[in-house]
Amino acid sequence: MTQMMSPASIAASRPATEDVKLEVRKLDFFYDRTRALKDISLSLPAKSVTAFIGPSGCGKSTLLRVFNRIYELYPKQRAKGEVLLDGRDILDRSQDLNLLRAQIGMVFQKPTPFPMSIYENIAFGIRLYEKLPRSEIDGRVEQALRRSALWAEVKDKLNASGLSLSGGQQQRLCIARTVAVKPEVILLDEPASALDPLSTAKIEELIDELKADYTIVIVTHNMQQAARVSSRTAFMYLGELIEFGDTEQIFTSPQDKRTQDYITGRFG
Amino acid sequence: MTAPAVARDARVRRFALTDSLFHALTRAAAILVLLLLGGVAVSLFLGAWPALSHFGPAFLVTESWNPVREKFGALAPIYGTLVTSAIAILIAVPIGIGIAIFLTELCPRPLRRPIGMAVELLAGIPSIIYGIWGLFVFAPFMQTVVQPFVIGLFHDVPGLSALFAGPPYGIGILTSGLILAIMVLPFISSITRDVFDTVPAMLKESAYGIGCTTWEVTRRVVIPYTRVGIMGGVMLGLGRALGETMAVTFVIGNAHRIHASLFAPGTTISASIANEFTEAVGDLYTSSLVALGLILFVITFLILAAARLMLLRTGHKAGA
Repeated sequence: MTQMMSPASIAASRPATEDVKLEVRKLDFFYDRTRALKDISLSLPAKSVTAFIGPSGCGKSTLLRVFNRIYELYPKQRAKGEVLLDGRDILDRSQDLNLLRAQIGMVFQKPTPFPMSIYENIAFGIRLYEKLPRSEIDGRVEQALRRSALWAEVKDKLNASGLSLSGGQQQRLCIARTVAVKPEVILLDEPASALDPLSTAKIEELIDELKADYTIVIVTHNMQQAARVSSRTAFMYLGELIEFGDTEQIFTSPQDKRTQDYITGRFG
Repeated sequence: MTAPAVARDARVRRFALTDSLFHALTRAAAILVLLLLGGVAVSLFLGAWPALSHFGPAFLVTESWNPVREKFGALAPIYGTLVTSAIAILIAVPIGIGIAIFLTELCPRPLRRPIGMAVELLAGIPSIIYGIWGLFVFAPFMQTVVQPFVIGLFHDVPGLSALFAGPPYGIGILTSGLILAIMVLPFISSITRDVFDTVPAMLKESAYGIGCTTWEVTRRVVIPYTRVGIMGGVMLGLGRALGETMAVTFVIGNAHRIHASLFAPGTTISASIANEFTEAVGDLYTSSLVALGLILFVITFLILAAARLMLLRTGHKAGA
């Protein structure tokens, strides 16, 4: 790395008044012996949208998967370094994984509704952590579906299978499901890559609304999307964090040659 | 026409010919299966007709099986077949699914292949081996250890005392059911494991991603997602249990009686046929055994049909 963005300069580029929700310190990640992330350090401000961009294989999804430690489902994948959620290291052994994943929700590239009804898809996650009477769960389900702009479309068929919805609706259902658990951070891993432009637009609107209450991190291949939805953008390349800053600055006056090449479409 | 065009026409014709030949061959193969199935059904029916016409519908509900007086009824073998298979499935399904969950979700990688292979090897053991093992090892163990203990345990519990009553013979309905459970276990667990492996990693990740434990992911996502496949494995196991002959013949006791106690000896359809075919003198006796075969055929068919229907219904409800 060219030391373009040393951790100190990143810290300096953040206004001191801003809340830091997630802070990554000297993070390395290994798939078996392959080092997929190299000495990543950055801090994500609370209640805003941060986009990770970069060519395939640059490590942006890997970085996202560290935040809820979903990589631990697979042997031979490990992370080294620190990731602080509200100042507490989530990579610490004592961190309860289920609790972490309730705090940091994730939405995947393809919609993954559970094989159950629309209602149950959402109620399931709520019931995992909270014992609530039926009426309150009903309310939470409705609230989550409203938040994800799906309520009008599904309110008459809550008992239909989640799989009966269209792809875009399924993805919004997955976002509703994530929101319903009341996480603090939402990780979106190319959430619109399998969707048509109209559904994509709906997802983006949704992200825009959700950022008032949640810290959102989105990985995307679509640079226009990053420019539209995020307030900060991180450009990654070959496992390194090349540049991280305000989205506008990254897209209009990138500091690093590689960032410039990527956003102008010279590679990737 | 130019030479290339002629050559191309010839090739197109050849393609059309081979294609229709291929079409006819595959269709013939499919029809052959139907013909075989029909042939088996018809010949079974013809063979069974003398007994069925002689005894009428009472054949199905008569318990007595008396070769000397040529009075035959199928109730005891039907009962034995259904009960031993039910015991086998009741025991093998939870264990089989447990094995599959362990192998796909929890097992350390280096142990996966050895355990999986060991389970599959169980399926490769010839049934005669289960039979002699059952008769010489397992039945005596049941007789001296398990049955006296269970009889003592439940002797003053109403209901259970009748179910587990009796002198401990060792052989009998329960012993057969347990042997059958061991025999169908590899089918159920290996099919279940295979279908568990088809669950998309992303779907499991998203369940783990909202904070599910392995148990919750398995129960609420993996099993519902693979329900059809699991049912398929269970049906295959049930089919094997219903028709299994050799091992059961060794340990069931071959008594044409229905007893409330699971420790009592009984018989199954296939065990009766295997045991008695050589000594079946007289047309009515032989025909009664063929009628038993027909009944087994019908039971298997009905169970498969019921399973299909059930899958269709649950499929509609959850839409999976």
